[in-house]
Amino acid sequence: MVKAVRGVLVECEPAIKSILVHIDSTHHHEFIIEDLDETHLFVKETMLHVLKSKLEERLKETYRPEEPLEDSD
Amino acid sequence: MPPKRKAPPGQASAAKAGRASAMSTPGPATPRSLDSSMMSEADEDFDEDVTEAQREREAMLSKEADEFVNKFTFGGKRLQGQSDDSGREVRRYDAATPFFRKRDFSHLPLKPDHQNRPLWIDPDNCTVVLERFNPLAEQATDFLITIAEPKSRPTFLHEYALTPHSLYAAVSVGLRPRDIINTLERFLKTSLPDVVRKKIEDHTRSFGKVKLVLKHNKYFVESVDAEVLQTLLKDKVIGALRVHGSGSDKFTTSYAPTMGGLVIPGTQNAAGVHQANLKPAEKKPGEGGGASNEADLFTALNEEDDDDDKEAVHAFEISDANVETVQKRCLDIGYPILEEYDFRNDDVNPNLEIDLRPNTQIRPYQEKSLSKMFGNGRAKSGIIVLPCGAGKTLVGITAACTIKKGVIVLCTSSMSVVQWRQEFLKWSNINPDDVAIFTAESKNKFSGSTGIIVTTYSMVTNSRERSHDSKKMMDFLRGREWGLMLLDEVHVVPAEMFRRVISSIKSHSKLGLTATLLREDDKISHLNFLIGPKLYEANWMELSQQGHIAKVQCAEVWCPMPTEFYDEYLRANARMKRTLYAMNPRKFQACQYLINYHEARGDKIIVFSDELYSLKQYALKLKKVFIYGGTSQAERMQVLENFQHNPEVNTLFLSKIGDTSLDLPEATCLIQISSHFGSRRQEAQRLGRILRAKRRNDEGFNAFFYSLVSKDTQEMYYSSKRQAFLVDQGYAFKVITQLANIEKTPDLAFATPQESRELLQRTLVDNERGAEDDVETDDLFGKPGRGGGRGGNGRKNNGGGVRRTAGMLSELAGGQDMAYIEQNKAANKALKGKGGKKGAGGGGADGQSKFFKGLQREKDKSRARGA
Repeated sequence: MVKAVRGVLVECEPAIKSILVHIDSTHHHEFIIEDLDETHLFVKETMLHVLKSKLEERLKETYRPEEPLEDSD
Repeated sequence: MPPKRKAPPGQASAAKAGRASAMSTPGPATPRSLDSSMMSEADEDFDEDVTEAQREREAMLSKEADEFVNKFTFGGKRLQGQSDDSGREVRRYDAATPFFRKRDFSHLPLKPDHQNRPLWIDPDNCTVVLERFNPLAEQATDFLITIAEPKSRPTFLHEYALTPHSLYAAVSVGLRPRDIINTLERFLKTSLPDVVRKKIEDHTRSFGKVKLVLKHNKYFVESVDAEVLQTLLKDKVIGALRVHGSGSDKFTTSYAPTMGGLVIPGTQNAAGVHQANLKPAEKKPGEGGGASNEADLFTALNEEDDDDDKEAVHAFEISDANVETVQKRCLDIGYPILEEYDFRNDDVNPNLEIDLRPNTQIRPYQEKSLSKMFGNGRAKSGIIVLPCGAGKTLVGITAACTIKKGVIVLCTSSMSVVQWRQEFLKWSNINPDDVAIFTAESKNKFSGSTGIIVTTYSMVTNSRERSHDSKKMMDFLRGREWGLMLLDEVHVVPAEMFRRVISSIKSHSKLGLTATLLREDDKISHLNFLIGPKLYEANWMELSQQGHIAKVQCAEVWCPMPTEFYDEYLRANARMKRTLYAMNPRKFQACQYLINYHEARGDKIIVFSDELYSLKQYALKLKKVFIYGGTSQAERMQVLENFQHNPEVNTLFLSKIGDTSLDLPEATCLIQISSHFGSRRQEAQRLGRILRAKRRNDEGFNAFFYSLVSKDTQEMYYSSKRQAFLVDQGYAFKVITQLANIEKTPDLAFATPQESRELLQRTLVDNERGAEDDVETDDLFGKPGRGGGRGGNGRKNNGGGVRRTAGMLSELAGGQDMAYIEQNKAANKALKGKGGKKGAGGGGADGQSKFFKGLQREKDKSRARGA
């Protein structure tokens, strides 16, 4: 039987794609249907929302790292 | 920035709140000048008119802004309660309001002619904002520098903060509280808020009542008013700290010479009070003759004092250790302690024969900074902040020449000890025998009764066993009173260390010198109690315009991470992340490109990298010389020599050991590959390496500072944080996203994906093995801990057992000073790594018999228990 999954084509920068792939791999591959090329991904439509929020979180981390700023003496 | 912020409020609020058109254009309805478009706050106040209550109500109604409005009304009530003096309590609200939160001061009424006045004020934290483009800016700047501390000084808007310390400094140079308030009132666009007025009055009223003096090696809190002392003693904290001498609770009462001596003209010249008024050239020759005169006057004056004119001074003693606590407490309860040294009336300590050489020229800003220190003819303790390469040493020496008493100079390394001594001999006429050095190698004393001792912080604070000589020397240092303590590079020294220095060595006045008075750990405020307030901070931009330091173009180059690197980056741990963004091949290319470009222009380039691994990889790949912590002294000298004089060697790679102490006036371009997180200080210190560029006065000369940043990584965040200090000094960072024609660079490194993948693999493999290998301590204070088996440090370190043994062996064999390690570092590390993992007990642990393995296990267990 043919099973159809509704998907969304996501176009982004390579760096963002890397992050998306990384999120996917740490969440039992539940987001991405197909990795198309450097800048394109095919993502499950139902999970798009979740993926977006996860990405937001990750981006925040990038610009506000948790580790405290050290300053050597 | 301001124009950007300015535009949206009117339009955005109109669109969002969906107001009636009549009200949606409040901006244009009020007159708006070109000038005012530069100021964000001005805009706020401009649209203040009758409709604001209405508008506010409407805004409240608009659903999308609900949250904001709630916040606003809450904040509004708070502020309205405070500002009951203003007639218009109802505040406007527009789309920009929430961004200002509590710092929205649009309710403060503007004066009718506010456009002619250059100052804004933030009543909550006493910050004053100065419009540099205002015609009155010059006068206002002069005034502000006297009464406030500069916070940020970019081109158009300067920010100053009124602090207790700055206000005391203002009063001590003779400004009356009334003057301060009136002048502020005159320059401000709004009327002076009552809070600020009260603050100024509070802080200035009690100033100068209490003094901390050093007498016969003991600290006394002194006041002419016994009442004040009683108040202090009633305070819980201070009262407990008083040292009770011989059971009596009475104050020691003594007589001190009054300040009458200050009006003697002959002395004032020497004291440098009027240094600013005199041409440096004509000041010097006069001094030689004046000295004897002066001495006569002194004696005359003192005799006079003995006869009449006496004022009773009451004092109680406090112990050395508690000086800081008392100072802090006194500041809290509003009796700031004044630490001044009336050096001209000090007959107890012998005078030192020292003067600046007649040909020595002091630059105007150096004079200014010193005039702050000797503002009233006495020496105030404090910190002078001058950019790197602006002649801090000379300021210190001039201060020493002014005080003319015993001087102790503390610096950060033995290299700079030697430099300080040379500078003293170069700029002043002091007898070379009177400048002694106290380091591990040489422990001299000066010949005469007084002199100058140059030493390092670590020598003085060293708590470990000392040799007999240095112990004797320390006793000597401790046993005397010093006229002046010069503290070089105060920002680097931990507060603890200072405490030890200051409690063990007694000096009448302290002068701290630094370029970057900041620490990421906020401990900088401790220095205020340990040394004194900031006396002077030079304006970097002004100095570079006058040609005292080089003009610098700053740029941040964004280098995208190739996908495979970025994938790896996402998976890596924090340490590997740092290595990866430093090893980014695009960054490498950018670095190569910039080196080629600037070498072709004839620049001398320094490349900084905190990451040792990448430092080596870059340098080896590009075939350039490099210096890091492990480079031997001889090799360092050779490399530096070559960099300075050999036209073939134009690029030098440095690890962070080059951040501070190196002085390379040849360097004109600086590239930063990796750096210490968000350290603003490091950024500023590194910039300092090119500020003293020799060619700075050439026509149209610019030095260049590049910071290479890997895109989409934490580096971006750190980078913006690091720049904060320099931006406050008025430097603008350009962002370069694409270097033109970078792909045309001949022999471009890692041009093909294949090569860059190989680089990635190599980086990963190399760093997995020798991860802990790259730890490098700073040159300054790292040494004691690093020196092989010495001290307790090595023993505590369980994991480093193997390394330590290896280090000692090579030390014994003399292999430490050999340079062959660098040629094949990866292999070396591989060896070390293997040893570290497999045989924790020592070499040759592979293929052990069961017996030895059992032994090993036992050992490990006991070790684990011990740890």
